[in-house]
Order: sequence, then structure tokens, then C-alpha cells
Amino acid sequence: MKDSLARRGQGILLNPRAGLLALIILMAAVFAAIRPEFFSPRFVLLPLMMNISIFTVVGIAQMVVLSIGHMNLAVGQIASFGAMFSGIAFDLWHLPFYVGVAVGVLAGTAVGAISGWVIARTGVNSFVVTLAMSFALLGLVPTVYSWLVTNGSAFTSKPAGMEDLRRNTLADLCVGDICGSPAVPQMIFITAAVMILVSYMYSRTRLGRELLMTGSNISASELSGIPTGRRVIVAHLLSGTLAALAGVMLGVSTGSFTAAIGSEFMLPSFLGPILGGTLLAGGFVSVAGTFLGTALTSVIRTGLQMTGVGVESLNIFLGLILLLALSAHRLRHLLTALAGPRKRPRPPSSAPVRGDAPNEVGASR
Amino acid sequence: MTITSRPPGATTKIQGALRRMPPAAVPLALICLAGAGFLAATSSGDFLSANSLHAFLQYLSLPILIGLAQMITLSVGQLNLAVGAIGGFASCLAGLLIADYGLPPWLGALVAVLAGSAAGFANGLIVVTTRINGFIVTLATMTILTGVQYGLVGTRSISSSAWRPLAAVGDAAPAGVPLIFLIALAVSVLVSLGFKHTLQGRQLLASGGNALAAELSGISNNRSIVAAHMLSGTLCGVAAFVSLASLPAVNQSIGGDWLLPSFAAPIIGGVSLVGGSVAVLGTVLAAVIVRLVDAGRAEFSLATSWVNLVIGAVVLGTVIIGRLDERRTHARRARIAEPSPVGGTPARSNESARENPGEA
Repeated sequence: MKDSLARRGQGILLNPRAGLLALIILMAAVFAAIRPEFFSPRFVLLPLMMNISIFTVVGIAQMVVLSIGHMNLAVGQIASFGAMFSGIAFDLWHLPFYVGVAVGVLAGTAVGAISGWVIARTGVNSFVVTLAMSFALLGLVPTVYSWLVTNGSAFTSKPAGMEDLRRNTLADLCVGDICGSPAVPQMIFITAAVMILVSYMYSRTRLGRELLMTGSNISASELSGIPTGRRVIVAHLLSGTLAALAGVMLGVSTGSFTAAIGSEFMLPSFLGPILGGTLLAGGFVSVAGTFLGTALTSVIRTGLQMTGVGVESLNIFLGLILLLALSAHRLRHLLTALAGPRKRPRPPSSAPVRGDAPNEVGASR
Repeated sequence: MTITSRPPGATTKIQGALRRMPPAAVPLALICLAGAGFLAATSSGDFLSANSLHAFLQYLSLPILIGLAQMITLSVGQLNLAVGAIGGFASCLAGLLIADYGLPPWLGALVAVLAGSAAGFANGLIVVTTRINGFIVTLATMTILTGVQYGLVGTRSISSSAWRPLAAVGDAAPAGVPLIFLIALAVSVLVSLGFKHTLQGRQLLASGGNALAAELSGISNNRSIVAAHMLSGTLCGVAAFVSLASLPAVNQSIGGDWLLPSFAAPIIGGVSLVGGSVAVLGTVLAAVIVRLVDAGRAEFSLATSWVNLVIGAVVLGTVIIGRLDERRTHARRARIAEPSPVGGTPARSNESARENPGEA
């Protein structure tokens, strides 16, 4: 009895998500102690929540491909591509807001599907294909902007509904006399919907299980009748869809669509899922962990900015956090191994972070 | 390595040289020649003038060096996202020490190279001690070093007037060929010889080709990984030296656009991404192609984003064509069932063994 209690206690300690939550609370408390205005709802918490909403979607876009053991280095560029199409839809085609959003998201879906198709068809490493894709888009998007935008370098049309999504917070939603917090933007509903749908897919649907199986052992999956090629395409397609959605969300939140959207997405896209415990090697995902990981990095980013650390020096901290998080993962694995062999409840601690073989990039394991 | 600008003549000599070249290098050399010819024709001969050839070769040095830096990490199956960050950090550190702390310029150049080595060594050490994926480690160190680079120089530009002796190296051109291009060529020859004839080079390839077999033959894979990252960092340091020598100033933007050429050169040059093979000549020729695209962009005064677009498309095209070609050869070989020709290096058969059964 005592043993099982201790084990459970250890389980909580070893659970990355509980640790993340504790860290988020700790960091927020530390920053609030240094700068009491950290909890100002309008000026700090609202932008922070907006950031978390957008970057959680970015993280999930990466998580979906990580689940099959691939990578998507083009998340940022697909985001800018999708945002560009939404901008075109608003500015040149004068489409209504939600139709324009759908156009942008579908553009991302198409790019993701192309990456996935090339990877599945040729068997080339996902790293190279998405890297090449990102370079191609990195060239294409600014070129299109310079063609289509006559004055300035951004699409700035604001169709009806866009400002609402940008400005409104939960304070604008009232049930009787009770209103929500002014610190939470309504955009968080999009993120919540994405999180619920993706969690549902991975935990309850056949497609989700097949994606995870493809990630954990592609030959076994193939032999059990899973069309792994098609699953690879689906994962990249979904990743493209979500990346473009994040790009459109960022465009909406800043009020203009520029070629610079997505240029900052690469590192956060990996930070969120990895801090949250998603394996690089595929086969395990954690949507809630991705959210918490993103929240932690956003809290640290905002807090450091408030304590006067320059934007560029933030990079040093974010890089260190990534390294520390992964070392901690490794350490946890060593600790559990030392604690003695026993059945472990979850795959993340039983499968080591792959890095043992030098050939570790992407699918060809 | 002298195929780039050889005038027509002595056909037998060229044929002999072609036969000695690795198969992938022939089409690359032809593309280089065609590209140079195209540029010469569209610029009505301007491209072949001494001045523009000088500029072409001078700025060819950097893509060659960073392409080789990436190739070395690819040879053990790792990769180095921090190529640009290491180069930028090393050049800014050296520039700052020379300009503000009175370090003699030549010592500064040494500092640049050593800083690159140290950063690469740190990368390798983190990879082997934590067993974290090399991609993520170098992503993290890239972010850190970019931040450090900004911390060092901030928004200022350190003018090269502080290191005139180094700038003289950048301008020197014995017999009309820029000295820094010759340095890059010398480095390529050294890397090529190192992989062919030294124990360390063979060990890197063995670890990259088949880690388990290498381990069983008494090779330390950890050592190979650290050595590869350190060598890669050293070459980034040399690239930082070249930047110091050839650019009018160093600032925080140096290294920011190195990532694409560093991957484009080895991938187009035919280096396998799973490790176990290198192609120095191919990488150098592919660097020439990258440089030609850049020169073409300048010729037609297009936006810089065009270079990314074209190179991205070329890289994608190369990997697809390469893979399809490889699979066709495999199918043919399997049908004929004859012993594989000499061209099929161990690395190649190794790679095919890794192919996903799903795609076979």
C-alpha cells in the first residue's frame, strides 16, 4: 500500500505534464513577484493568451508529423503561404471573413498534401522534403506579395467579423450577469476546438491509432495491413492545415497579412510538443502536453521581456530551455531505469528519446 | 576540381577526366558549364570578363565551405542546423576582439576558426552525452548562438578597417584567382583526402554507414559523432574567417542566410542523408550551381527570394529524381541478378536496406 502510494507519487513527479504545470505556476509567480503588473489582464495576460492560442496550434501542427516519426520544417512557411491566401481572398477577391479563412487553410492543406505525397511516393526523408518545400515557399511568398501588393507590403483589408475575432475576449460573452475574464481572447475557442478534435482523433479513432502505429513501427504497421503511405500523406496534410490555420490566426491577431508571418514558428513548433512529452521518434503524442509546453515557453518569453531582457537575448534562454527539457527527459528515463525494472504505465518513459543511432533523422530508421 | 572554367581543347584529356569522375559529378559539371554559358550569353560576354569572374570566384568560397561543413555532419548521419549561427558567432567574436580589444588580426582569424571548432565540439558532446537527436541539439545551439551573436555586436556593424591584413587576404588574387577561393579549394582537397586516406575519415564513414557494424569493429561511434561535429564547426570557423576577409563589415546578420546553401550543396551533390557517404567534388560543383543561381539573380536584378525559390525547387527535384533513379537501378539489378558493379558503394546498398518496406 505504502509502496503503491510512493509509486504513484513518483508517477506524478515523473509525469512531464504535472511538472510542466507546476513550472508554469512557479514561473508566473516569480515574474509576478518581480513585476507585479504581470497579472494585468489587458496588457500582459491578453497578449500572452493570444500567443499561447496561436502557438499551441503551431505545436500541434508539428506534433501531428512527429507522431509518425517525421518532421515538418516548413510549418512557418506553410503558415505564411496560408495567411497569404487569406489575405488575397480578403483584399482582392473580397470574400467574407470565414470563407477567406477557409481559403487560406485549404492552401496550407494542399501544400502539406504535396509534401506528404512526395515523401510517401519517393521514400525520401521527410526532413529534406519539408526543408526544400520551406525554401521554395520562402522564395515564393515574398515574390507574390511584391507582385500583388501595390502599396506597402501587407494585405490590410479587414472584412466584417475579423475585428471581432481580434478584439473580443471572454468579457464580451455574458450569461446573465456573469461575464468571462477580459484576459482570455475569443480566439482560444479555435485552439480549443483544434485540441479537442486532434485528441479525439488520436485517442478514439482508427485513423489516429494507425498514425501512431505507423510512427512506432512502420514495417509492423505495413504488415498488419495499415496503408502506411496514405497515413504519411494524411499526417503531412493535417500538419499543413494546422500550420496554415496558425498563420491565419496570427494574421488576424495582428490585423495584417505579411510575408513575415511564420518566420518565428520553427523553434516554438518543436518546443511545445517536445516539452509536452511527444516523442521525436514517433508513436506517442500528447495534445495537452503540447499546450502546456507552449504555455510554459510563452510565459517565460513574456516574463523575460517584462524584466527587460532583449528580444534577441531571449533566444539564448529558449535554446537552453529546449536542451534542458530534453536532458531532463533523458534523466527521467535514467531514474526510472535505476528505480528497477517494472511495468511502466506510459510509452514515453519506456521508449528512450531516440538519439542512440546516428541515423536518426525522420522516417528512415 | 578544375572543371569549372576549362576552355575547350584537349578532348582526350577531358574524356579521361570525365571517366575518372564519380558518376554523379558529370551531370553536375555539365549543368555548371551550361549555366555559365547561359550567363555569358545573356550578359553578352560580360560574365566572362576578369572582374565578374573574380567576383564570382570570390563569393564562391563561402558556399563551398559551408556545404562541406554540412557534408561532414551528414557523413555520420547527423546534421548541423547551426552552420550559420556558428559562422556568424565566430566572425562577430573575432571582429569584436580585434576592433575593441586590440587583438592582432591574425590571432583574431585564429580565434574565429577555434571558436567554430569549440562550438562544433560542444554540439557533438551534447549529442553523445544526452543522446538527444542531433537535429534538436543543433536547433537549440543555433538559437543560443544567434542570441549570443546579437549580444556581442547588437545593432552595430564592425568595419573591416580594423583588420586590414585580413581584408588584404580577401582582395589578394595571385594569377587572377582570388586567394580565398584557393583556400576553399585547398580545404576541399584536404577534406577529400581526409575521407579517402585517413583512419579518422574512414571511421566517420563506417559509423555513418552502419553504426552497429562500426561498433563491433571497435570504432567508437560517439567519437565519430563528436569528431564530425567538431570538424564541421571548424569549417564554419574557416567560413567565418572568409567572411571577415571578404566583407566590408561584420554584423548580426552574418550567417543568417547560410542554412539553405549548406544543405543545398551536399544534397544536390549526391550525399546520402542517412550517412556513410561523402561527395566532395559533387558538393563543390553543387556550390558552383548555387552561386550561378545567385549570379543569375543579380544579372536579371530579381529579388533575393528568387534564389530561395529556385534552389528549393532544385533540391526537391534532385532528391526525387535521385531516389527514383536509384529504385529503377535496383529493380533492374534485381531482374538481371548480376553482381553489383563497382559503382555501388557499401553506403548505397546500405541505404537501400534502410528503405521502408512500405515504399518498395
